[in-house]
Amino acid sequence: MYVRALPTTDVNRNTEWFTYPGVWTTYIIILFFSWLLVLSVFHCSPGMAWTIVHLAHFTVTYHSFHWKKGTPFGDDQGIYNRLTWWEQIDNGKQLTRNRKFLTVVPIVLYLIASHTTDYQHPMLFLNTLAVFVMVVAKFPHMHKVRIFGINGDQ
Amino acid sequence: MITIPYLTAVSTYFSYGLLFAFGQLRDYSRLIFDWCSTNNLQGYAPICLAHEDFYIRRLYHRIQDCFNRPISSAPDSWVDVIERYSNDNNKTLKRTTKSTRCLNLGSYNYLGFGSFDEYCTPRVIESLKKFSASTCSSRVDAGTTSVHAELEECVAKYVGKPAAIVTGMGFATNSAIIPVLIGKGGLIISDSLNHTSIVNGARGSGATIRVFQHNTPAHLERVLKEQIAEGQPRTHRPWKKIIVVVEGIYSMEGEICQLPEIVSVCKKYKAYVYLDEAHSIGAIGKTGRGVCELLGVDTADVDIMMGTFTKSFGSCGGYIAGSKDLIQYLKYHCPAHLYATSISTPSAQQIISAIKVILGEDGSNRGAQKLARIRENGNFFRAELQKMGFEVLGDNDSPVMPIMLYNPAKIPAFSRECLRENVAVVVVGFPATPLLLARARICISASHSREDLIKALKVISKAGDLTGIKYFPAAPKKQEEEKDRMKLD
Repeated sequence: MYVRALPTTDVNRNTEWFTYPGVWTTYIIILFFSWLLVLSVFHCSPGMAWTIVHLAHFTVTYHSFHWKKGTPFGDDQGIYNRLTWWEQIDNGKQLTRNRKFLTVVPIVLYLIASHTTDYQHPMLFLNTLAVFVMVVAKFPHMHKVRIFGINGDQ
Repeated sequence: MITIPYLTAVSTYFSYGLLFAFGQLRDYSRLIFDWCSTNNLQGYAPICLAHEDFYIRRLYHRIQDCFNRPISSAPDSWVDVIERYSNDNNKTLKRTTKSTRCLNLGSYNYLGFGSFDEYCTPRVIESLKKFSASTCSSRVDAGTTSVHAELEECVAKYVGKPAAIVTGMGFATNSAIIPVLIGKGGLIISDSLNHTSIVNGARGSGATIRVFQHNTPAHLERVLKEQIAEGQPRTHRPWKKIIVVVEGIYSMEGEICQLPEIVSVCKKYKAYVYLDEAHSIGAIGKTGRGVCELLGVDTADVDIMMGTFTKSFGSCGGYIAGSKDLIQYLKYHCPAHLYATSISTPSAQQIISAIKVILGEDGSNRGAQKLARIRENGNFFRAELQKMGFEVLGDNDSPVMPIMLYNPAKIPAFSRECLRENVAVVVVGFPATPLLLARARICISASHSREDLIKALKVISKAGDLTGIKYFPAAPKKQEEEKDRMKLD
C-alpha cells in the first residue's frame, strides 16, 4: 500500500525527515524489536527486558534529542548550533502533533515497564527518574532553558 | 506528488537509523582511541566542530566513489569516465590512467551544445584568437567588449524583456543579485525546494524569509495574506518590498512551475515575481524560450527573469533580464558586475552562436530539430520507464527525470551497477534531497540517439531489477496479450 509524501515547508534538513509518513510506525517497531532482542539475549523476565528497553531508550533519546546541539552537516552554516534537536523540530513551534507523540512514548514505556515488573523497587526508582527527566526536558517552558548552564555554550 | 510504498518508508528510516547508530559507535570508539594518542596541534582551534561533519565522514565517505566522478572528454552523449580505486575503504580515491566510455545520462547537455558544434565552435575559436581567453578585468573597468554588449542584447531579445545583464557565474548571479534587490525590511517568499544559490542570496540579503509549500499557489496565497496582515516582525510596519522566488524547472523533481497561477496570486497582492529559469531556458517551449512560452505567460508579468547558460547553451555564466530601469540599477549596484571579472569572451561568443542556432538565424533548422528531439527523447524515455514500473517524477516535456530509490543502500548499488554496464548516472541523497527521497536523476539530451536511449533503458531495467526499485506494477506488454489471445483461438 502506498502513502503520499507531501513536500514540507521545513527548511531545516536535520528535522524535516520527521514530518514524512512512516516515522511513528518505525519508532514503535524499533522499540518492540529491541524488546524482543533484549529478551532473547539476556534471558531475563519480560519486565526486566522492558526496564532495560526503557532505560536504553532514555539514554539514547536524551543524548540525541536534548544533549547534541546543531546539525550533522555543515551546509546550513551553523545557524542551529545553539539548539538541540528537540528545540529545532517544527521550527520551534511548541505542542505540535510530533512533539505530543514524542512526549507520550516515554510515558507509555514507563507504564509498561513498571506494570510488568509489578512496581518492584530498584527498577521502579530508576524508571521513575528516567521518565521524570524525559518529560520535564520536553515541557514548552523548557525551550532554550539551560539549568545551571549544563550543556550551555562556551 | 511522490507516492511511497509504506514498507519502503519504514525500511528506509530503519536503514538510516542503523547507519547513524554505527556512525556514532565508530565516533565513540575513535574518541576512546584518541584519548591515548596526543596531537601536536595544541592551542589551535579545530577546523570544524566534531558533529558538523558527521554526515560527511560516516555516511558520504562510505559511498564516495559514486559522486564526483572525473571525466576526461567533452560532456557529449558519450563520455570518458576515469576509473578510480581505493585502498582504504573509500576514504581516499586514487585516479588511474584508464577511462571507460560511458553513456552520459548526467550532464545538463539539453540541446547537445556540450561538445563540438559545427556552427558554434569555429566562431568560439575565432573569438578566442581575437579576444583571448579572459578579459582580465571587471565589466566596468576594461572588461566589456563588443561581444559582451551583443550578448546582453541577444539575451534580452531571446528572453523577451527590454534589457539584460550577464555575469560570469550562474550560482553567483543569484547569490550576488538578490541582496542588491532587497534588504532588511523586505520579505522573500521562496518555494520550499529552491536551489542553494537562491537560499544563499536570500540569507545574505538580510530580508525576512518565508517558505511556501512546493508548487502550491493556494499555500502561497495563504502565506502572502498572513505576512501582509502581520507586517514586519516586531514593529508590524508594512513590508518595504515582497519578492516571490520560484524556479522554471525544479532540478531535483523535474517538475514545471505552476507559473500562471503564481503570477496571478502575486499580481493580486502586488508582490514581485523572480523566476529562475536555470534548467528551463532553451529546453522547453516551442522555440526554447522557457517556461513562460510553454505555459503562455506574458513575460511582462514576470518582473525579474534569471537564467544560466550552463545547461542548454553549453557555456558558463548567468543572466538577469528585466526592465531597462532595473538593469540600469543593477549595473550601478551589483557587485557581480562592478567587481567580479566579466564572463570570458569565447564563452560569450558560444552563447550568442547557440542562441542563433536555436532561433534558426544560422540559416539551418538545426535549432528546431534539437528542440523537437529533446522533447521526443524526454517523453519517450519517461513513458518507457513508467511502463517498466519505475517511479519517475516530473512533468511531461521536462528533460529531467528523477527515478526514486529511497533506501540508502540502493544509492551506491544502482550507481555502481550502471557504471559496470557503461552508463553514467547521477545519484543524489540526503542532504541535497529529503532524507526519505533519495533518487537517481537522469538528464536527457538532444544528442542522444534512439539506440542510446534503448541501451540506457535496458541497463536501467536490469539495475532496477537487481536493486528492487520497480515500486509500481509494470504495464503488461501489448505483444504478450496478443500472443495469449492467439493461443486461445
